[in-house]
Amino acid sequence: MKARSYLGFLLRRLVQALVVVVLSYTATFLIINVLPGDPITNMLLDPDNGFSQAEIAPIIAYYGLDRPVPEQLWNSFSRFVTGDLGISLRSNLPVAGLVLEALPSTLVLASSALTVALLVAFALAYGSQNLPPRWGQGILRSIPAVSLAVPTFIIGIFLIQLFAFQLGLFRITSPDSAAATFFAALALGLPVSAQIAEVLITNLDHEARQDYFAVARSRGLSRGALFRRHQLKSSSLPVVTMIALAVGELLGGSLITEAIFGRKGIGSLVQSAAAAQDFPVLLAVVALAAVVFVAVNLLADLVYPLLDPRLRRRRGTAGDAA
Amino acid sequence: MAGIALPRLSAPSLPGSVVLSFLVLAVVLAWSLFPGLFTQFDPYVGDTSQKLLPPSLRYWFGTDHLGRDLLARVVHGTWASVTSAALAVAVGLLAGGLIGLLAGFLGGWVDTVMARLVDVLLAIPNFLLAVLIVSAFGFETTNIAIATGVSSVAVFARVMRSEVLKTGSAVFVEASGLLGGSRWHVLLRHVLPNSSRSVLALAVLHFGTSILTIAGLAFLGYGDPPPAADWGLLVASGKDYPSSPWLVFLPAGVIVVTVLAVNRISRWIRHDD
Repeated sequence: MKARSYLGFLLRRLVQALVVVVLSYTATFLIINVLPGDPITNMLLDPDNGFSQAEIAPIIAYYGLDRPVPEQLWNSFSRFVTGDLGISLRSNLPVAGLVLEALPSTLVLASSALTVALLVAFALAYGSQNLPPRWGQGILRSIPAVSLAVPTFIIGIFLIQLFAFQLGLFRITSPDSAAATFFAALALGLPVSAQIAEVLITNLDHEARQDYFAVARSRGLSRGALFRRHQLKSSSLPVVTMIALAVGELLGGSLITEAIFGRKGIGSLVQSAAAAQDFPVLLAVVALAAVVFVAVNLLADLVYPLLDPRLRRRRGTAGDAA
Repeated sequence: MAGIALPRLSAPSLPGSVVLSFLVLAVVLAWSLFPGLFTQFDPYVGDTSQKLLPPSLRYWFGTDHLGRDLLARVVHGTWASVTSAALAVAVGLLAGGLIGLLAGFLGGWVDTVMARLVDVLLAIPNFLLAVLIVSAFGFETTNIAIATGVSSVAVFARVMRSEVLKTGSAVFVEASGLLGGSRWHVLLRHVLPNSSRSVLALAVLHFGTSILTIAGLAFLGYGDPPPAADWGLLVASGKDYPSSPWLVFLPAGVIVVTVLAVNRISRWIRHDD
């Protein structure tokens, strides 16, 4: 019975996720192709870009730009599903290849940034509960709010000024070295850590006010054990949600971080595509970002009832009633 | 005489940090409305014999690579930065507020359709969505502002919807309906005013985040080209002169202080503390 209701929940969420992916693709496609009067054709016909008539014809035929919009959308989407992301207008190379080439660098950056973000967030959260109240906690608790007011690019520029130019810990001429990657991850991860820390601290405070917590403390548990065994476990569920939401933040932030640190990844691919009005590349990256975001959030939703017994029970009774 | 405590005239007392925040915003507002009062230097034409000077009594923020006074550039760039953030908030508030209001109040299939729309807006990372919109419509500060606004629609819609659902089920709202108030009367006179506090706090908060997002987009070159003096653009052009760090950190400091003040006021509106 229980397994079946979870299966039903899983199917419903799966269908919902697919609908969102299809709609996101449609919205992106419409922004690019319809609203401002088909920028791809405009860009091809612009004499400054130097496309000859013979070059334009096959591109228009490939995208079906002379066809009605719904047909173009259908063509484009069915290609996307089979892994054909179109052809870059700028380089004439398949977009899928460009994305695959740029992906590893961004994956390394984003996953290191997420690691940094989690480490910093948990350190701040631990300090916020266990340091001397006035000076330690007060300062630690104001860090997330302050760092959320700092533009991402400033953190990057500051790290480069201090650690590359002044201290010589890494060189910006070799952006893929371990040290340079670490500092880039720091620049990308710190704003994310502030968001996670804010949520985590709020939840830890909430748990610390509960009766069971006072009981546990009166049993003589040490601060560390209280934190680990009681506060943290029940506060970590919202963190799963925050991590899922951070995926979008990390993808968007990679534009700025990659630009500042001179890395070649998805962010710099988007950056050059935007500058050259290379719309097939933009469509592919935005659509893939939506797929990743939806998939990660779907995963978080599916894991939730497995982690939290209360959610499991509620869903079980709902399933029984139906 | 000394023992008598005078009653406070201002009923809600303002915390000091909130007063300070309002002062900061007043300065920013004055900069954007009357930039000429705060600097005698020209923000666009410099004296190249005075280039890249560190901050001094004459040039409080130093000078840039063309010998322009940086403070003059920051002050004159305030208007563009502030109005574009306000435009972004207006777009998000109006579109998101309307979506949330309709979804929460009408419910049923309208709610379902709006929920999927919000899901889509959430699924595309904000910054990417903004870049996409700006690429399609042209690199301009106005387009940056609209794009930033569009990417905040989802959050406004969600908060508005939950507020409408919360107030919609309150007893006095039910009473107003039973007294014969029409649906629209109930919506406009009771539900909307009572939902406005959280939405206002969110709008103020988004004014701050919009300043940051717009600065980020201007930093990447999606806004008006130089010699415009948007705060993000000032940082972007300053970063090419690493030996003159004031070109980066002073405009950045102005951004940070402004956003901190805005965030503080937002928290005050939300919690009254």
